[in-house]
Amino acid sequence: MEIANIVDKCPGTVKEVIIGATKDEGGTRGKSITVGGSNCIPFMDFDGSPGHKPAIAMDVYDIPPEEWPEPLMKHYADVVDNPANWAKKCVEFGADLICLKLDGIHPDKKNISASETVSTVKSILEAVDIPLIIWGCENDERDNEILPKVSEATKGERCLIGSVTQDNYKTITAVCLADGHNLITQAPVDINIGKQINILVADLGFPTDRIVMFQTTGALGYGIEYCYSIHERARIAALSGDRQMSFPIICDVGHEAWRSKESKARDDEVPQWGSFADRGKMWEAITATTLMQSGVDIIRMNHPEAVSIVKKHIENLT
Amino acid sequence: MSENSNTYKIHFLPNDKIVEVNEGSTVLDAAHNANIYINSICGGDGICGKCKVILSSGTVDAPTTKLLSDEEVDKDYIIACEAGIISDLQILIPHETRLEGKKILLDQNEQHSMTWKATLDQANFKHDALVKKICLKLEPPTMDDNVADHERLYQAIMMKQGVELNVMQTGYRILKKLPEVLRQEDWTVTVTLGHRGKILEIIDVQPGDTSNTNYGVAIDVGTTTVVACLLEMETSKVVDSEAVYNTQMKFGEDYIQRIIYAIQNEALDKMQRSIVTDINNLISTLVKRNSIILDDITAIVSAGNTTMHHFLLGLDPERIRKEPYIPTANFIPPIRAIQIGININSRGLLYTLPSVSAYVGADITSGATAIRLDKEEMPTLLIDIGTNGEVVLGNKEWMVCCSASAGPAFEGSGIKHGMRAAKGAIEIIHITKEFEVSYSAIGDIPPRGICGSGLLDCIAEMLRSGIIDRSGNFQKGIKTDRLRKKDDEFEFVLINKEDTGIDNEIVITQADIANLIRSKGAIYAAVSLLIESMGLGINDVHCVYLAGGFGNYLNVRNAITIGMLPDMPSSRIKFVGNTSLTGAKMALLSEEAFETVQSIASQMTYFDLMGNQKYMEEFMSANFLPHTNLDEFPSVLEELSSLNKKFSGTN
Repeated sequence: MEIANIVDKCPGTVKEVIIGATKDEGGTRGKSITVGGSNCIPFMDFDGSPGHKPAIAMDVYDIPPEEWPEPLMKHYADVVDNPANWAKKCVEFGADLICLKLDGIHPDKKNISASETVSTVKSILEAVDIPLIIWGCENDERDNEILPKVSEATKGERCLIGSVTQDNYKTITAVCLADGHNLITQAPVDINIGKQINILVADLGFPTDRIVMFQTTGALGYGIEYCYSIHERARIAALSGDRQMSFPIICDVGHEAWRSKESKARDDEVPQWGSFADRGKMWEAITATTLMQSGVDIIRMNHPEAVSIVKKHIENLT
Repeated sequence: MSENSNTYKIHFLPNDKIVEVNEGSTVLDAAHNANIYINSICGGDGICGKCKVILSSGTVDAPTTKLLSDEEVDKDYIIACEAGIISDLQILIPHETRLEGKKILLDQNEQHSMTWKATLDQANFKHDALVKKICLKLEPPTMDDNVADHERLYQAIMMKQGVELNVMQTGYRILKKLPEVLRQEDWTVTVTLGHRGKILEIIDVQPGDTSNTNYGVAIDVGTTTVVACLLEMETSKVVDSEAVYNTQMKFGEDYIQRIIYAIQNEALDKMQRSIVTDINNLISTLVKRNSIILDDITAIVSAGNTTMHHFLLGLDPERIRKEPYIPTANFIPPIRAIQIGININSRGLLYTLPSVSAYVGADITSGATAIRLDKEEMPTLLIDIGTNGEVVLGNKEWMVCCSASAGPAFEGSGIKHGMRAAKGAIEIIHITKEFEVSYSAIGDIPPRGICGSGLLDCIAEMLRSGIIDRSGNFQKGIKTDRLRKKDDEFEFVLINKEDTGIDNEIVITQADIANLIRSKGAIYAAVSLLIESMGLGINDVHCVYLAGGFGNYLNVRNAITIGMLPDMPSSRIKFVGNTSLTGAKMALLSEEAFETVQSIASQMTYFDLMGNQKYMEEFMSANFLPHTNLDEFPSVLEELSSLNKKFSGTN
């Protein structure tokens, strides 16, 4: 006797967000990337459409990272002071998107000016043709000063820009709205605040098919379970029809994984932990694949081999 | 303090009172000794900064403090609880720190000289006072009818009242005077009968007919205010009423602080005396004003929260604040009022209405009786907003209740220019799209602060006009001078200095808004969780009664707009004022009502929120305007989105 499959259909669907614009669409990208679109529990494609595959965004910093351990740094040593070349390298490593992190604009770091930042952004746009994420330094004053300039300079490119928080969202939301970019809304591992910031930007008239949520990320051993369950709750809310939660989710795996003691400790410090050369990238890969199960749509990563492990894993699952 | 330490004279103005205190006492201590009220929310811990006074002469030993602005320091302001006395002083208590007058706004429904017959009828309670005076004409004894005096009286009462002999009781003192009293007016006597549980007691026997001079007092012992209402028992007429601030406030503004104070200082007696004195003062004012005599007051019915009743009766309140939160008694038998020092007829009875738990008191059981929750067919909500927010859901078959620590924000406490609903309190606020503010203050005098209904209007109107966003954050980009940064905090100027009755502007600060949002969030979370826990939805709730001391008036729509009350048609929400007092009055005038309070108290199930994980989640979602789950507020969503189209700008 044949037993019919029981399909667990969800009433809600995660919105699709398109990042990057091709020439036809008014930008200069070779192609755009669409994320989201799922209407089933992650990878349970027998229940519904799993939507678009998770995309890998590789980080490029506007200043050389200070604390990267050698096993990570060795892949970028020749490009860390040239963001455009760095971005090219990421494309070779298989990045779907470039995430330009503007740490250098922070007043405690280099306090880099708006014009210098704009030229960095432009150099990357010229060097590579994949879509761009532009992420501020999390200093409200500087972000509000620099990001509007960057937004204006990249008008038409349909970048993903962020992040905005409950306490600082108006300026950045307004410029992204005007310049046609997508927006990252950030909350501190808090389902309510996550929802509230989405409502606040929607109140300003920001289109809901241009929002990506960020709940901050904890690496394996550093709070990944909180982060996992917040993603899971957000996704289940979205699938249950909560329109204020039905947005793709981004997570920051690379930066968090490479901050961990396990990625940084050298062989002579902890010989029993296994090879220093492998530990960090495995930490990053495992953090990424774990969070993928929670339903994330964009994963920020650093190590080329971790990226290829994760990409292979995605192929296997879909 | 050593015995031979110096003492100093402290002269308080404008009260013009002088007290002598020991060196090292604080100015706040001195004010307590002088029986002068000074605002103090933290009870003297140096935290709240409300006890600002002006040092007109003398020197104090005071640390530098962040609680005073530079401007205030220049004007010789000091924090009374932190100022150690080291010389004779003259202290001026400024307007904002004073408890101006003693007049507190009474219930609007309170119309004097009106009988309560209609109210009782409407509530379907039979008028049958708890303590009655009945006039009896006894047959004089003869050789054939040689029944003893006492039994003769019993028989007459039985005939008139239809009660059984074995449930009557007479005190020794009555027996002693009985023969003389019976014969004094030729066998015409008036007996005062009162219920003590199942027993009918002969409280007093007087010669002649005095049955038309029987008075009772209903009191509501609130954490903040004490209200007393004098009623004529026979006619059910409301003779007069009066209110004072609870003078226990000097020991801490909320009752948990007072419990701590009482325990730490072994001051339970002092606390009891304080509340009893308030009640005696109220009664003596009522008695004098209406030219009646104390002896004619035969009963008092008291409603109040569990802690206040403990203080009133001198019961140990300590375990109320500690897990598992156990009161000494919920059901307190009637006692003679004089036993705790309340001056009425020396044999008059004090009936304290019953509580449900440590945090759901007689104010709630009394309130539920007042609205006749026990007669409702459909699920009905009673929300009483005081220092705690209590919520009761139920109908004639079941009742559940819970208490949410909403905090006293809507009573004006912990809000920079918050105040209680007294003269000079702004009770209505309207803000235009151009950020112009119009308002109405109680008593039509220059405003001195904002009371609960005004604060509620303020949040709703600031949201509508785009001064704050849904998080309650000020929108820094708006074009008005009213929004400004002072002492590192944003504030919105509601009333300019020249228009107020205090020597200052009236503002609302970012911290005030956060405080009010937390408070309304706690209330809404309790309401929604209670409804959900019964497997109901808001549409199943037939009617919402909103009680509390907001003021005369409450804009129900604004309470929905800010998400304090669930989104439902305003016609299903009724603002009912002080239901605690209403219930106490009913209980005094109707034995049936008194019994109803008892049965409601034993019927109510207490639902604990404090240990409830879900409550915390509900509370967090409710900390938004109106709520994080906008779907729960469709009408607000519609209202705001139509407004929102008009505002969009940058910060």
